[in-house]
Amino acid sequence: MKRGTVIRLIALIGWLLPATAGAQDTQLPTVLVSRQLAESERLTVGSVVRLATDASGTRSQEFRVGGIYEPTPDPSRLGQVPRAVRLHLPDLLDMTRPVGIPAGAEYISSVNVALVNPDDAHQFARDVDARLPGVVALPSGEAAGSAGPFRVLERFHLAIAIVTIVAATVFLLALTIMLVDERRETVGVLRLIGLPVRRILAQILLEGLMVAGVGAIFGLVLAVLSEQLINQFFQWRYDTALVFVRVTRDVALTCVTIAVPLGASATVVASWALLRRGGLRLARR
Amino acid sequence: MTALGFAWRSLVRQPARAALGVLGVAAVGALLLDMLMLSRGLIVSMQDLLDRGGWDVRVSAGDLPGSGLRVPHALETAEAISTLPSVQAVLVIRSASAQIDRASGLPLRTAFQGVATRSTDPAGARLRAPWTILRGRDADASDELVIDERIASEFMLEPGSTITLRASCVADLEALPATRLTVVGVAEFPFQTTNESTAGGTLDALKTACGGNVGHDADLILVRSKGDADGTAAAIRAQHPDVRAATNTEVVGRLQQTGFTYFRQISSVLTTVTVSFAVLLIAVLLTVSVNQRLGEVAALRALGFSRLRVVKDVLSESALIVGIGGLLSLPLGLLLAAGLDRILKGMPGIPVALHFFVFETGALAVHLALLVATAIIAALYPMRIVSTLPIAATLRDEVIG
Repeated sequence: MKRGTVIRLIALIGWLLPATAGAQDTQLPTVLVSRQLAESERLTVGSVVRLATDASGTRSQEFRVGGIYEPTPDPSRLGQVPRAVRLHLPDLLDMTRPVGIPAGAEYISSVNVALVNPDDAHQFARDVDARLPGVVALPSGEAAGSAGPFRVLERFHLAIAIVTIVAATVFLLALTIMLVDERRETVGVLRLIGLPVRRILAQILLEGLMVAGVGAIFGLVLAVLSEQLINQFFQWRYDTALVFVRVTRDVALTCVTIAVPLGASATVVASWALLRRGGLRLARR
Repeated sequence: MTALGFAWRSLVRQPARAALGVLGVAAVGALLLDMLMLSRGLIVSMQDLLDRGGWDVRVSAGDLPGSGLRVPHALETAEAISTLPSVQAVLVIRSASAQIDRASGLPLRTAFQGVATRSTDPAGARLRAPWTILRGRDADASDELVIDERIASEFMLEPGSTITLRASCVADLEALPATRLTVVGVAEFPFQTTNESTAGGTLDALKTACGGNVGHDADLILVRSKGDADGTAAAIRAQHPDVRAATNTEVVGRLQQTGFTYFRQISSVLTTVTVSFAVLLIAVLLTVSVNQRLGEVAALRALGFSRLRVVKDVLSESALIVGIGGLLSLPLGLLLAAGLDRILKGMPGIPVALHFFVFETGALAVHLALLVATAIIAALYPMRIVSTLPIAATLRDEVIG
């Protein structure tokens, strides 16, 4: 099926005319209507609509709304309200077939295949490619390719995250230098009463780990709490079921894995210069 | 000594922490600048792309040019539009998919744009297609075409070479006839995406390539007005109610409401987060720094420094950290923007010439305003500490403690 035909059909949805229900309605072919279209045109299950492939309404045909569906969220169509209908393929081909083309001679843009064993996807795709020249088969996961919008956005967000981490690390280092400096006298006294540098460093590392751990947990709680808010705002803003933020186990683990060692390291690095000085010098007021 | 000079000495006395504070502000400032550039970057860049070539009204069958719908009876429509008094010239663009044969291996799939100018104005009749010739000349005859750099480098073609091309103007299932065309130039196509290649020529050349089977539709009709784009678009809409005529600004406005919103939203969210982050961290840095110097501040107050003066010192310190960091953030932000732009341009369907991050003086002004606000807000709490500091009690604590 040509993509242009589908777009034309979708674009002409505004032309939909709810018709009067009658006894023959049950004989009509059924269509599914997107939630957004159903809301804007006040369509319900059982409504009768007339569809056409052009604005003048030639070759229009009546259909009965068999159901209302939530469109699969598509980030590349964000901001566009999906006013769409889904037809059974034979009904669509009947409507869009050019005059003079016999039934069965139409072509379609893609075929989705559900395998008995999804792990065979790569092998199946290779077999199709080998046996059907001119047809490209791809496992679903690779259909968008390495340049798919999801992948690109992922790389973009990763880059933003790296810059944020760099900025946070610099600030953290500045803060820990000040905090360690504040405890110069205490460290000096500990050195004077005989505690070795390694022992004090271990204590500082432990303290840094605890502070970083608590900070990371606080950050995760904040992220989980804001997750719902952000999703609700953007889902309302774009009228979509797309999930914008999801704090998964992997994301949480990555955050903790970066934040805790980073915080602890910053404490140790900041303390190192201090510990190299003599105990007497540190304790001196 | 002025407050600024005094603050400078305070910072120089603690070079490590001052340098780290400045670096932190520079990194946050760079991100902030980038988000401000992102918020309007696509819009500014798209407007620039549309304005190139001077075509200021676009006529299409769909709400937005490039929606896949075609303008029926395009040449007749273009003829009629060209007779409007406010129109200087009209350009019909018809695009078809084509394949360029290789000596061995799979052919290269490309887009072939055929264009035809209609004008009643002698100056308008000389207007050319919306691509920019890099080498050679534009295609004039029905057996000539221009190609992009990708085709030129992949097939090692230069002006004067010939290629065998199979174009499909009506349906992808057509048996494509092979046509030999002469390459007369290498051009840059403004809306070409990173993962596609494009060739261009006259509408007659496209007709030749398609074996005469080009149909009567066109993808787009570009119009150059005599100065009043809005009036021209309205006149076209009145003359042809079945097509959509929009000025470049209207096209950008429609895109702004749909495709570009995600980046505007994400830029707003990240700007807010970045500024909050900067305020919080600078406030903490200054507060800790001031707390460590309470005795020093009390001593200065005892020596005769006024309350306003010590407050000014703290504010100047904040201004210096944010100011130096902010200055460093400009080159850093531009570098980062170039990298982020490269990442986002990996998205399918994005024209090569379109940029997500565009530098504007407006963005710079907002950036500076936000940094000034950050410096002031971050200094509020430490300023309050020094202004309400009890001199005698603090000095006594310092001596006893």
